Amino acid sequence: MQPLSLLGPLLSGLALLAASTAVGAGAMRKLVHVYEAKHELKQGSAGFLRTIAGWSWIAIWAMATWFFATIIGDWGASGDLDGAIARSWLRLEILLHIASALSDADS
Amino acid sequence: MNVIDTDQSELRCPACGGQCLYDPAAQALACTSCGNTRTLETPWDGAASAETDYHADTPETLPPDLPDSRAHRCETCGGEVVFTGAALSDRCPYCDGAVVLSTADTGYRTTALIPFRVPEKDAQEHALDWVRGRLAAPNGLAATVEKGRVAGLYAPFWTFDSTEAVDYWASYTTGSGKNRRTRRTSGKLTVDFDDLLMPASPHVTPLIRDGILHHFDPRRLRPYRAGYLAGFAAERHHQSVAEGLSANEADKRLLIRNRIKGHINKSRVSNIGFNADTSGIRYRRILLPVWILHYRWNDTPMKVVVSGLDGRTFGERPFCRWKLTGYAAVASLAVMAFGLLWGIGAAP
Repeated sequence: MQPLSLLGPLLSGLALLAASTAVGAGAMRKLVHVYEAKHELKQGSAGFLRTIAGWSWIAIWAMATWFFATIIGDWGASGDLDGAIARSWLRLEILLHIASALSDADS
Repeated sequence: MNVIDTDQSELRCPACGGQCLYDPAAQALACTSCGNTRTLETPWDGAASAETDYHADTPETLPPDLPDSRAHRCETCGGEVVFTGAALSDRCPYCDGAVVLSTADTGYRTTALIPFRVPEKDAQEHALDWVRGRLAAPNGLAATVEKGRVAGLYAPFWTFDSTEAVDYWASYTTGSGKNRRTRRTSGKLTVDFDDLLMPASPHVTPLIRDGILHHFDPRRLRPYRAGYLAGFAAERHHQSVAEGLSANEADKRLLIRNRIKGHINKSRVSNIGFNADTSGIRYRRILLPVWILHYRWNDTPMKVVVSGLDGRTFGERPFCRWKLTGYAAVASLAVMAFGLLWGIGAAP
């Protein structure tokens, strides 16, 4: 594989890192709130329920980052972006099912 | 002798005539001059935990109290606090704003209170420990909070009992992919609420309540006496029972909704709707002890609240944007590394 062919996946990886970090700051804030609720709020109380509501957002953020990273990894290894995207459909379908279940559990 | 004169005589030391303040460590009134202490316990303290029945179609059983000449109104937040005996502070315990003597105003008679058990020194340490333990907090936050001092306050609360006969309907989802099915369900259940605590002040939020009041024991309630308030501020009850019930409604509906999810006992429950028929409402109009520490961060007023019962602490806190971004970058790198390896393995 030519070093130049890795430039696309590398730049994409950096762009994904930047985007995931920017969006993830909100997820980290939510994670801290959930952690504090688990340790400090009365379990089962109204305040506890309100604070942990929306926790699925953290998992969905992580799954989205993971999903795009798998495409970039496949692309870097195979050099075939179209093939990597085609191979990602099954993963996407499974992730969407998981995300749907998490959203339902969080509602 | 009027009520105020009676209060003043109770606060005078029988040994030396000096001013007495309530000492949480001693659980007694302590003279600031000679150190003499005396308990405020009485044989009829047990009656303080009695509840009052509420009927929506009958008027309030406890009429609004008469104006008190020592009520102070905060010029910043508009809150009203009562200082019994000598006013120890000219700042509002809620927002740290200046307080001024208030003109005639009425509040509802408080039936009972739980006296302070946590002394000021311990409360200050609890507040600082809580702030130091915050994740992703800005640098310098602890140093800023250390400059503040806790203020003791009796905050107004309700306790509500009720029985809710609930008719509910909801959806739940089973299976996944092509086997995914959404089903409807409905049912009935009875939910009993016992001593549901509700703040009667906009200053103590339900979230802070759930952070500091994990265990409420009505046996600790004592009849309202001026001696318990000596040295502390107290906020008056201004809500009618109907207003208190209305304020409690959002919490109650959330808790009922959560009970319904447990009653259905399926995962992925959604679209919950219900009707609740409420009966057996009983209430107490009480005061609970809290220590409040005010601080400002980037011109935003914040507070840390320590329970005067057991020292549990919760409050408002700022976040450091750069620390959150740093955590997000590390987490993103970890998740991406996992994804990249997975993708490399999936490549032909």
